[in-house]
Amino acid sequence: MGQTGFAIDIYQNEYLPAGGQDVNAIVTVTAQDAEPVPPAEDTDGGSAEVIIVDCSGSMAYPSTKISSVRLATCAAIDVIHDGVAFSVLAGNDGAWPVYPDDGRMAIANEKTKQQAKQAVGHLHAAGGTAIGQWLRLARTVFSTYPAELRHAILLTDGKNEHEPRYDLEAAISACEGMFSCDCRGVGTDWVVEELRRVSTGLLGSVDIVPEPSGLAEDFAAMMESSMGKEVADVSLRVWTPQHASVRFVKQVAPAVADLRRTQSGPQETYYPTGAWGPGESRDYHLCVRVASAAVGQEMLAARVSLIAGSQANPEVLAQGLVRAVWTDDEALSTQINGHVAHYTGQAELAEVIQEGLEARKRGDEETATAKLGRAVALAEQSGNAGTAKLLAKVVDVVDAATGTVRLKNKVDDADEMALDTRSTRTVRTRK
Amino acid sequence: MTAGPAPVAASACPACGWPVEPDHNFCEACRQDLSQARESAAGEPVVQETVVRAVSGSAHGRASACPFCPSAEVSADGYCESCGRKLPSDRDHCELDLGLVAGVTDRGLRHSRNEDAMAFAVARLATGPMVVAAVCDGVSGSPRPDEASRAAAAALIQVTTERLRAGADAGDAGASAVESARQELAVLAGSDADSPAATYVTAVMTSRDVTLCWLGDSRAYWLGAGTPPAAHRLTTDDSGAEAMVAAGLATEAEALLLPQAHVVTQWLGADLPDARPHVARFEPPGPGVLLLCTDGLWNYQPDAAGLAELALPAALTDPLDAAITLTKFALDAGGMDNVTVVLMPFPLAPPEDVDPPDVEPGDTSLAGSG
Repeated sequence: MGQTGFAIDIYQNEYLPAGGQDVNAIVTVTAQDAEPVPPAEDTDGGSAEVIIVDCSGSMAYPSTKISSVRLATCAAIDVIHDGVAFSVLAGNDGAWPVYPDDGRMAIANEKTKQQAKQAVGHLHAAGGTAIGQWLRLARTVFSTYPAELRHAILLTDGKNEHEPRYDLEAAISACEGMFSCDCRGVGTDWVVEELRRVSTGLLGSVDIVPEPSGLAEDFAAMMESSMGKEVADVSLRVWTPQHASVRFVKQVAPAVADLRRTQSGPQETYYPTGAWGPGESRDYHLCVRVASAAVGQEMLAARVSLIAGSQANPEVLAQGLVRAVWTDDEALSTQINGHVAHYTGQAELAEVIQEGLEARKRGDEETATAKLGRAVALAEQSGNAGTAKLLAKVVDVVDAATGTVRLKNKVDDADEMALDTRSTRTVRTRK
Repeated sequence: MTAGPAPVAASACPACGWPVEPDHNFCEACRQDLSQARESAAGEPVVQETVVRAVSGSAHGRASACPFCPSAEVSADGYCESCGRKLPSDRDHCELDLGLVAGVTDRGLRHSRNEDAMAFAVARLATGPMVVAAVCDGVSGSPRPDEASRAAAAALIQVTTERLRAGADAGDAGASAVESARQELAVLAGSDADSPAATYVTAVMTSRDVTLCWLGDSRAYWLGAGTPPAAHRLTTDDSGAEAMVAAGLATEAEALLLPQAHVVTQWLGADLPDARPHVARFEPPGPGVLLLCTDGLWNYQPDAAGLAELALPAALTDPLDAAITLTKFALDAGGMDNVTVVLMPFPLAPPEDVDPPDVEPGDTSLAGSG
C-alpha cells in the first residue's frame, strides 16, 4: 500500500467580498505512476474478485444471451492475476455460488481458473430477479477471505421485479464499504436507475452493453481495470472550522457522481472513494459555507486530506488547503476560477440530461426539449464531444450553440439508455 | 534572548559583536575571518566595532494563540483549529527597537497581507556611530510584492552597512546597496517577464548629517524639536500626483484626489535597471527626529507639521512609542493600506545613554516582538 504516492491540487478563487460565505474549489487527486509490480507479488494486502451473473429466465431468450454471458465470465476469469481470490455467483430471485460451490473463495491459478470456467459452462437460466439477494451473498463470500481490495462485477438483463425497493436499498446499505461493484445491464429491459443506485452506493460504474456479443470485451476490461488497483479504501476527509459546513462534495471527473458522506467528528466528514490504481486521477467539486470574517482576514475554509485505511487507523496520503480571504477589491472577488466554472457546467450538463430524459419518459415534450437543448449547448461550450454524440441520438440538433433541438420521434431504447448511463462522463479542464 | 547589556570583552567580532579571544582566527558565531582585521589594525589600539541589524518579519514567527479563540489549538500550518482564521504572523505586525532607531510595520485593516517591510542597523564603527534604516513598499501590481519589499529592505541594510564599514561614504554606500537590492529582486523574478518590485527610502544618519536615497513614493520627513517646531518633507515622490504638482497642473491636495495620484512612476525592480535613485543630504539644524514612512501613513497625514504634532516630543527619547502612536493614528483613520513608520532621533545619543538592545551574542538578526 505504501508504494503509490498521491498528490492533491486545489483550484479556487480564494477571494470573497465583504460578507461572502460560499467557497468553491476543485480538488484534483492524482495517484502517481508507480513501477509496475509483477502479478505474483502484487497481493501484499490481498485482492478478491467476485463475478455475479444474472441467471433469471429472461437470460435464456435469445439463447445467445446466456452463452455470451458464459463467454464473458470466462473472459473475465482469464484476466484475473494468479494469487487473487475469486468466486463466481449466479442470481435470480435467490443467489447461489457457482465456483467454488461452497460459498468460499478460490485462489486463482491455472487449475482453479480452469475449474471455474468449467462450472460456468453449466450455467443455465430460470427464475426471477432480486438483486439485493445477490449482493448479500457476495458480501458473505467476501467475508470468508480477508483482502484489502474487494471488487465485484454485476450483470443483469431485467428489472428487479422480485424484491421490493426497500429490500434492495437495505442490501446496498449492508454492502457499503464491504466491496465495490461495477454494474452492467445487457439489452434494454433493465432499469438504469436501479443499477445506478447499486453503483453509486458501492463506488462503481454503471453502463449498458446493448448486444450480448459485447459482453466479453467489457467484462475483460472491467477486470483489467480492477487488477490495476493498488490502494484500497481511500477516502476524502474534509475538516471545516466551527460555524462552517460542507454544502457538498461530489466527484466531477472522470464522471459526475455523488459521494456517500459520513460525519466522523464535529468538524469532519468522510467521503469514501474506493480503490485507486497508479496513474489514476479524479476531480472533486467542494463547496463550503463559512461564517464571514473581516475584510483582510484569511481563513482556512477546509482542509482536504486523502486517507487510506480505516477511520480508526487512518494513513494520510496527501493534503490540500482551501482558503478564504475577504477583500473589498471587486476585481479579485468577482472572478470565478476556471476549473470551478468548467465543472459547474459539466455537473449542470449531467443534471439537465437526467431531467430531460425523465421529462421525455413521462411525455412532457416541452420540458424535455428545453432541458436536452440546454444540454446540447453546454456540451458544445465545454467541448464534451462524447456527450454531444450521445445527445445527437436522442435529439435532432438545429443549432448547437444556442441549444435549439427537436426531439426525435423514434429513439432506440439502447441509445436513450446509453445517454442515461454515460451522461455523467465529463471532460477535464486543461491544467 | 538574554537580558542585560551586551557582553564586555577584550575584543569583539567586527561583524557580529560576539566576544573573541586574541588567538581566535574565526569568529565562533558567524565565521568571520578575524585574522585580516587584526593585521590591518596592527600597531593601533583594537577598536570594538559592532553592527546590529534587524529586519521586519525575519523571525517567521506567528502568534501562539488565536486572538478570537485563545484556548483553541493551532494547526501546524498556522490556522486556528476552532474558527479557522489564519493566526497573525510576525509579518502582520512587527515592532523593532534598536534604541537609536525604532519602527513599526502593520498590515492595516483592509489588506490580507503586509507588503511593507523595514530594516535597520546600528553600527558603532571606528569612525563613529551610524544608524541606517530602510523602508520598502511592495508595488501591488507586481508579483510577490511582499517578498520584494522584504528582500529589498534586507539587502539595502546589509550592503549599506558593509560598505560603510569598509570606509565608503554614505552616497557610495547607498549606490552599491541599490544595485545589490536590484539584483536580489532579479533573482526573485527568475525568468518571469513580471518582476517583483518595491519602493524604497533609506537613510544613513551620522553624528552630523543624514543621507537619503529613494525611489517611489515612500517618504522621509524631518520633524524638528524646539520652539517653534520646524518640520518639512525631505523627499519628493515618484508618483502621478507629484508629477502633476511638478508640472504646475494641480496643488498637492488636488493632485492626491486624482485617479493616477498613487501610480508609482519609478521603483526598485529588475525591470527598471536604469532607474537612478534620488539622493539628498541634509544637515539637521538642531535636535529632532527623522521619520521614514510608507504611504499607508502619509495618506492620512501628508503634512510634516501634522506628523510632528503626533510624534513629538515622545519620539526624541522613545522612538518606538512614537512609532506605535503614529501607526495607531493610521489604523484609526481607516487603515486602508499597510503602514510602516521608522523614527531616528537626532543627534545620535552617546552609547552610555542608551540601553543596548537585548541581543544574544552573535545574533545579528532581531526577531520582532508583538
